Amino acid sequence: MASSAPILSTPAEHTFDDDHVPTTPTSRLSDEQLYLQYEITRTVSEIRDGRWKRIALQFPDEMLVDAPRVFEGLCDGLREERKRMRVVAQDVVETANEVKNISLVEEDKGLNGRDSAQEEDTEERLCILADTSYGACCVDEIAAEHVEAEVVVHYGRACLSPTARLPVIYVFTTKPMDMDTAIASFKQTYPDKGEKVCLMADIPYHHHLSDLAKSLLGEGYSSVFQTEIVRDPSSLLPNRTLPSDVQADAEQLKEYAVFHLSSPPTSLLLTLSSRVKNVHIFPTDQSGSKEAPEASTAALLRRRYALITRLSTASIFGILINTLSVSNYMTALKHCQDLIKAAGKKSYVFVVGKVNAAKVANFSEIGGWVVIGCWESSLIESKEFYKPIITPFELDVALTEDKERIWGGEWLADFSALLGREKKIGSKTTNVADANDETTATNDSNDAEVPWDEQSSDDEPPEFDMRTGRYISQSRPMGRSKAIKTATTNGSTGPKADPAPASSVLVQRARGDVATVNGAVSPAAQFLREKRTWQGLGSDYEISYERDEHGKIRGAATEEGRAGVAKGYSVGDDSSRS
Amino acid sequence: MVNFTVEEIRGLMDAPENIRNMCVIAHVDHGKSTLTDSLVQRAGIISAKNAGSARFTDTRPDEQERGVTIKSTAISLYGELPEKEDIKDIPVKTEKNEFLVNLIDSPGHVDFSSEVTAALRVTDGALVVVDTIEGVCVQTETVLRQALSERIKPVVIINKVDRALLELQLSKEDLFQNFSRCIESVNVVIATYFDKVLGDVQVMPDRGTIAFGSGLHGWAFTLRQFSAKYAKKFGVDKSKMMERLWGDNFFNPKTKKWTKIGNHEGQPLERAFNQFCLDPIFRIFDSIMNFKKEEIPKLLEKLEIKLASDEKDLEGKQLLKVVMRKFLPAADALMEMMIIHLPSPLTAQKYRMETLYEGPPDDESAIGIRDCDHKGPLMIYVSKMVPTSDKGRFYAFGRVFSGTARSGIKVRIQGPNYIPGKKEDMFIKSIQRTILMMGRYTEPIEDVPAGNILGLVGIDQFLLKSGTLTTSETAHNMKVMKFSVSPVVQRSVEVKNANDLPKLVEGLKRLSKSDPCVLTYINESGEHVVAGAGELHLEICLKDLEEDHAGVPLRISDPVVQYRETVAGTSSMTALSKSPNKHNRLYLTAQPLAEEVCKDIEQGRIGPRDDFKARARILADDHGWDVTDARKIWCFGPDTNGANLLVDQTKAVQYLNEIKDSVVSGFQWATKEGPVAEEPMRAVRFNIMDVTLHTDAIHRGGGQIIPTARRVLYAATLLADPGLMEPVFLVEIQVPEQAMGGIYGVLTRRRGHVFEENQRPGTPLFTVKAYLPVNESFGFNADLRSHTGGQAFPQSVFDHWEVLPGGSPLDKSTMTGKIVEDMRKRKGIKPDVPGYENYYDKL
Repeated sequence: MASSAPILSTPAEHTFDDDHVPTTPTSRLSDEQLYLQYEITRTVSEIRDGRWKRIALQFPDEMLVDAPRVFEGLCDGLREERKRMRVVAQDVVETANEVKNISLVEEDKGLNGRDSAQEEDTEERLCILADTSYGACCVDEIAAEHVEAEVVVHYGRACLSPTARLPVIYVFTTKPMDMDTAIASFKQTYPDKGEKVCLMADIPYHHHLSDLAKSLLGEGYSSVFQTEIVRDPSSLLPNRTLPSDVQADAEQLKEYAVFHLSSPPTSLLLTLSSRVKNVHIFPTDQSGSKEAPEASTAALLRRRYALITRLSTASIFGILINTLSVSNYMTALKHCQDLIKAAGKKSYVFVVGKVNAAKVANFSEIGGWVVIGCWESSLIESKEFYKPIITPFELDVALTEDKERIWGGEWLADFSALLGREKKIGSKTTNVADANDETTATNDSNDAEVPWDEQSSDDEPPEFDMRTGRYISQSRPMGRSKAIKTATTNGSTGPKADPAPASSVLVQRARGDVATVNGAVSPAAQFLREKRTWQGLGSDYEISYERDEHGKIRGAATEEGRAGVAKGYSVGDDSSRS
Repeated sequence: MVNFTVEEIRGLMDAPENIRNMCVIAHVDHGKSTLTDSLVQRAGIISAKNAGSARFTDTRPDEQERGVTIKSTAISLYGELPEKEDIKDIPVKTEKNEFLVNLIDSPGHVDFSSEVTAALRVTDGALVVVDTIEGVCVQTETVLRQALSERIKPVVIINKVDRALLELQLSKEDLFQNFSRCIESVNVVIATYFDKVLGDVQVMPDRGTIAFGSGLHGWAFTLRQFSAKYAKKFGVDKSKMMERLWGDNFFNPKTKKWTKIGNHEGQPLERAFNQFCLDPIFRIFDSIMNFKKEEIPKLLEKLEIKLASDEKDLEGKQLLKVVMRKFLPAADALMEMMIIHLPSPLTAQKYRMETLYEGPPDDESAIGIRDCDHKGPLMIYVSKMVPTSDKGRFYAFGRVFSGTARSGIKVRIQGPNYIPGKKEDMFIKSIQRTILMMGRYTEPIEDVPAGNILGLVGIDQFLLKSGTLTTSETAHNMKVMKFSVSPVVQRSVEVKNANDLPKLVEGLKRLSKSDPCVLTYINESGEHVVAGAGELHLEICLKDLEEDHAGVPLRISDPVVQYRETVAGTSSMTALSKSPNKHNRLYLTAQPLAEEVCKDIEQGRIGPRDDFKARARILADDHGWDVTDARKIWCFGPDTNGANLLVDQTKAVQYLNEIKDSVVSGFQWATKEGPVAEEPMRAVRFNIMDVTLHTDAIHRGGGQIIPTARRVLYAATLLADPGLMEPVFLVEIQVPEQAMGGIYGVLTRRRGHVFEENQRPGTPLFTVKAYLPVNESFGFNADLRSHTGGQAFPQSVFDHWEVLPGGSPLDKSTMTGKIVEDMRKRKGIKPDVPGYENYYDKL
């Protein structure tokens, strides 16, 4: 006999080898640079001003190397500050002692001062939040709440989405840029000095804008508008201030060109492309090129259109929660669920943390995913995903009937903007529904002559999948016109339509039966039954029962079992048996 | 013109032995529609205002304009045999001498041959039209082959005999030789596709299965008619007379005896066919066209032709037409030939059942079809959709094979992807109305019994192009039609005004429904694509789309072809990919799949739904596969039926069946978008060599396996010398000798090559066959005409896929590499093809 099993596949011991040796990069910044880059002084003073005692520091992955030193820097800074304050406080106390005999009021004040000094004295506790749950651009409030933080210091580029619970100190960590090339590039791009241009920059480069704008004014450019950062992702220029004439009339923005320092996130580009005249991007990757190429989003938008049309016939949607901090995310979730339900499709809600291909591919029943996240991270452009991932705005487009869908280049990233828009359109859609009702009514009246119309008992027709050019038969498993149907059955058949009272008798499930939800077959159960060849252990055996001559299941006689706790069970009243 | 009421037609429908469903098929411009006209004029059932006007079955304005049929059109005709006695000649016992002939006129241009396929499915017989002068052409051969594979019995008419007489001035013997050559070449095609069940269907003039005539002049004859005339005179049996009227049979006027030897005492004898059949025709032609006025009345009297008073004044061709039409009316000859020799549904469905029905041959539906039983379970095959005047709605055009279709009954509508027992692609719906399709008119009818062709109202939303309708819950599908053309030429369309997008989408849906072959979809880069069989087909489709279906102004791109990604060799090493958690490994190799196997898959001879043992047998016997490998084919892809295979060659891997679904998903995904240019893959066989899996089910779930399967498939492909395949047309060009040089020049410039060149015997015409890449074929026709002075007539039909020559697609300096780069740029992806290292993991 062989001493071991023959080797048929890779030896099992190799399976767990992790050949990925993580390299630990070391911080290359000098102390001075570190202080400047991470704005430690400003952070310290803001923390002191806010009198926050527990502070969470959130770093994006690539800045984690610097995290310990920033931490130390902050601790030192805060300690210094405390020491200084203590000195000041002592001074106050001393002066108070000197004029002891003046008045009670004064005394009280002194005491107060001492109290506050003591309070000031308690050491601030800092925590580094190393692993963000969703995206580096968002403030991770949940992780911060785990350490009971009162404030979060967010480093690196941020999406500036409004947070729901905690105050945030943003440190944008500035990056250097060659100003001369930028000016030269600007001049090359806009030969006309009267051109209306909005200056925008990616957040790490934003501090260069004021210098740039000043120099450009000096060069004679009169209509250059320098944007400022505001926390409003649903603004026409997301998170940026608008020129004054645009504030009055949104259409004016169409006349502005945007000169953007460093390449913006794709979602910003898509949002901007339909709102402004054109977008030129000045690359900051030190290549030294003076060209500021115009960004073209047409191809990208078309690809998104392909994704959207692919999802319009999907029967099951997964809603991925990719943020727990952006305010309104619950409303957005509700909105998506309602949309999907109204379209007669099924949705499931998932929280998977950071989205990656492996996580979402685990659910092969899902035909497509919707991401509810901050406005920057909800656009996931990758070929690696098994099923397409779209944003709530795109879901809105995908579930619009083919007869109404328009894809004209408008693209919204921020779902609060979408929700606002919904309200406006809300009234309009009811009008449309009315119109539809009217048409059906006229059809009904014509029924006798032109019997084109469907009878209520007929199946729902399949849908044409534009992506493949085929018919998809079960794209609305939950039934599109459920409400109307039940109404008619109630009207016509009366009591029959009432659901039968739930029986308490156990019903044997026939093989091949699929779980139903409110009378409709569960689409996921159906998927398991029809699409999967592997249905779990034991699925390949038939469960058979012993039956008597009447065909009834012959089971064993029921006996009373044991009761009680592990210390001592009892059977029936007889406590001695166990 | 016979005028019938719907009730009377309905009466005719009840006797299936008195029904003939047939279609007219031929090469383009051989005169199908004109010939059909002469039948309609004589025997059209419904009083049609326009009947008799030219090309009755060309219902669309552009068909009339271009003089080319685009859509197949059905009409019903009433026929009877001139003499009651003739009923006995019908091989099946028939009582009544009244027949309902459902005739479908089909387009001849190759680009529309999908219409022919759809027409053939609902008919049992075919009238093959062959031009005397041009003979059997490529399309004649294609449609004939299709007809035979559907077990459809052919009869032939040799058309345009008037041209042979008037233009070519052939002698009688030359004409006879010409006829025999045509007949022989038709029989060669028929013999090639011999089907045991259908039996010998070779066509012979002496059996009466061939007619000769002129559609334009409206005359035609079969030997049967002449033999009837002469049988009494010679006092012999009619069938014996028929035999004598063809081939090497001579009548010696001196000895008054029949002989097989062509001369008597040194004097050549005249062939019986020439003497008895051609001679009267030649005489009529001679006297009328040469204005021998005095001879004409005598001749007419002898032939018992009476002219109306106003017709007597006619001269030349006009007179010729009238005389010939009276002498040998085409409708009579054809009607007689079709009624006697083409099978009734009752006969035909017996042997067609097994090729028509996918299910077991002994279930109730199969038996219903076999017996053409109007009381059996309803079985209707819808072969195409016909637009109605109500925009966006369609009639479903099909045939009742079993049972009776009635307005208001509930039917199960089964799409092409329906699998018995599953819910997918199956709908229950009631038929709203049944109608008769009469060219451009429709007539409502209460019910239609088995064996008839009909139109259905109200089910168009459930079927895209074709499908099966049944009342039986156990019924399988009727076999899905296989087209001889593929939509390989595509153009993308976009709206000029973004607000028109919904109209375009709606229009594309309608377009897709209205044509059996056209494909409309949105590609990966978001363009709306319309794909058709050829340039003409696309042109017509796009015109329809812009003017009719969508009705909005469109921007249309230049035509492009779709490529396929493939491999030229076996993977240079086993590709390995690890799952994202590094706990699972897939080992895979790629190798080319033989062209014959691919063709078999694409034609449906090997398919995913076959029994795996039967499939393995075919692969082992016909394609030299190892039987154990052949039994372990996991799936076909893309779209679960493409020509790529995933074969499990692992040994004793635990949990393998649990990850099969995930690997298959990854395979479908990867074969749909290959690694080189995101084009679909073709002709690649992937072998799973080994698999290592984590012992916990959760760590080997879909999330770990699906992306890994895709990666390893990509790595294996990139390691196996990847290549691009392009579609290639088979071009057949008819050209006179002096213009041959021009053809070669044009073809060479377009990377085409000639592989066959034949002179048509007795003519200066040459037939050149060549392969031409579809990509180079745009504008080919115009180019060819200009280089041959308009004398060359090409017909292009998709033939096969061929690997693009000229280097690896991974090398940007080659032509293939450039094509790939352009394609990737157009799609908005990185211009460089990622190396295999991106998908390959080191151990």
